[in-house]
Amino acid sequence: MEVAYSSKGGPRSRVKGKTIASALAVIALVLLPLVVKSPYYMHILIMSGLNAILAMTFITMLRTGLISLSIAAFWGIGAYASMLFVMRLKASFWLALPASIVVAGLIGLCIGYLFVRSAGFGFVMLSAVLGMLIIVVFGNLKFLGGYEGIESIPPPDQITIPLVARVEFASKAPYYYLMLVLLFVTIVILRAIYAAWTGRAWMAIGLNSRLAESLGVNVFRYRLWAFVISSAIAGMAGSFYAHYIGAVIPGSFDVFKTIYVHIFAILGGVDFAILGPIVGSVVMTFVPELLRITKVIEPIVTGVLVILIILFLPRGLLSLFGIQAMSTHVGRRIEKLGSFIKASLGFRAR
Amino acid sequence: MSVPVAQLIVDGMGMGLIYVILAAGLVLMMNVSGILLIAYGEFYAIGAITVWTCVEYLRLPFGAALIVAVVITTLVGLASYRFIFQRIQHRPNNFLSQVVAAVGLMLILGQAILLIFGTVPQKVPSVFTGMVRKFGITISVEKLFVMALALVVTVALFLMYEKTRLGRAMRAVAFNADVAALQGVNTNAIYMATMGISGVLAGFAGGIMSGVYEIYPEMGHNIFFSILLVVMLGGMGSIAGAVVGGLILGITLSFGLYFTGGMAQIILFLIIGVILFFRPGGLLGSRIQL
Repeated sequence: MEVAYSSKGGPRSRVKGKTIASALAVIALVLLPLVVKSPYYMHILIMSGLNAILAMTFITMLRTGLISLSIAAFWGIGAYASMLFVMRLKASFWLALPASIVVAGLIGLCIGYLFVRSAGFGFVMLSAVLGMLIIVVFGNLKFLGGYEGIESIPPPDQITIPLVARVEFASKAPYYYLMLVLLFVTIVILRAIYAAWTGRAWMAIGLNSRLAESLGVNVFRYRLWAFVISSAIAGMAGSFYAHYIGAVIPGSFDVFKTIYVHIFAILGGVDFAILGPIVGSVVMTFVPELLRITKVIEPIVTGVLVILIILFLPRGLLSLFGIQAMSTHVGRRIEKLGSFIKASLGFRAR
Repeated sequence: MSVPVAQLIVDGMGMGLIYVILAAGLVLMMNVSGILLIAYGEFYAIGAITVWTCVEYLRLPFGAALIVAVVITTLVGLASYRFIFQRIQHRPNNFLSQVVAAVGLMLILGQAILLIFGTVPQKVPSVFTGMVRKFGITISVEKLFVMALALVVTVALFLMYEKTRLGRAMRAVAFNADVAALQGVNTNAIYMATMGISGVLAGFAGGIMSGVYEIYPEMGHNIFFSILLVVMLGGMGSIAGAVVGGLILGITLSFGLYFTGGMAQIILFLIIGVILFFRPGGLLGSRIQL
């Protein structure tokens, strides 16, 4: 924390600097398609943005102490829901996107109501079962296309943005901008929630759920909220994915995808709820691609990279640049306080 | 047409006993060291592929190949503990770091297997031939031999864990590592030994199955989910749970495949979900707080 407050100008100019930096980053991201022409690299950019959105939902749940192995399941639910809306009901993509958010959120509400009560290891196991079950369900229902999936999902309909342009989804660039919009919306919503009372309650639950409960936080309700919001955001990413790729295949939503999402978030740094997933997913998507000349040993290089980062940068890549997460400092203090209270009350630490 | 119940049960036990050995290894790891070793399926694949390589290229007899396979998987396990997990073991809240490190290990080992083995499925030539027919059950001698070996290993593991000095030290570390260390248990050596024993079990399971079932590079990746289901079903804390879970899964899958294809799998998952909902620690496990 000395880093934060001893720098000249104090916290206020730091916030200002942060705003300027984010504005510059947004401008750079918007102008990026003018520089990057290759559709291949555009594809990687889009996928890393999508992974960043998913990794953010992981951190949202992790904040409340839920390690979910069913992120990819809700991603898949969003993709299938969107596919059904567009292909069976002949709805427009712009209607199917919010509809699949609602569907994923509602399913998340029902499942979360059952799962979230058994927190800790029980939740990890139950969500893992859901993550495996969903593949089998998708694969065995005939109207969802079986294990081969469904192909030739139409791209989003063209849309006219007033005063700007008519957008037609013919090349990669419009998808890139759509992804940016979705990413931006996710960040804004999550930041708002983190800053609000809900976010503080989440953080309190994640640091010490019993302590939070004793302070009057309804642990079950806030965990359920975190689960539903994460599911809805994952569903949104799924809807986009289905129309971007143009196909849904059950195998692409398996538990290993979820574990990859965990890796993106953890490598970026779990304490950084917004920046961590972005950095983690960009690095983890681009470094293997840049090593593509040696295609056969690419997974080995990725594995070595993952292990090295875990061994030598346990707080994630962002800790490399000396960026201090506000939450860790405050968190450590609260944790100390919590363990002190627990010890004085005679709880058995486990 | 009557349902060949006994035949289906015996068929299910064949794969079920392989599940039992692997699940026991995974439970041991998770219980004593607290590591959810996602790369465990790859260890099993290494075992199977080593046996195939030894038999096919070095012309070793099956027994010698099995020993080589066990030694190699054990060495891989020990090396991965020494160079990766030992550095993470003493950090607080290390569960996620361990999982991620295990995924890294899985990527490395999986691709190494693919490079060395190739993509074509193989089969180790049978050692025993012939079939046994008794009580209306038909089973190959080879499968019977594999089942007997698997049973022996499971019993040996159980005795080791419950009766020997090493087993007692392991249980102490599993209960509370700090207190065990205070009583003079060398926790690091115990973690190392646990990893070694898990490696032995994986190599053995992979080695003996190679005579009966097909070998292909993704076999480790595919079997890991089944093992995880077994562990969930039986319970985190106990080897007995792994035995129960493995046999239930093997037999249920064999019945499910007989009656219908995939729908039975959905029902299986739902049953497991219901069991976990009411007993989050599994059938024989205790409630575990993360």
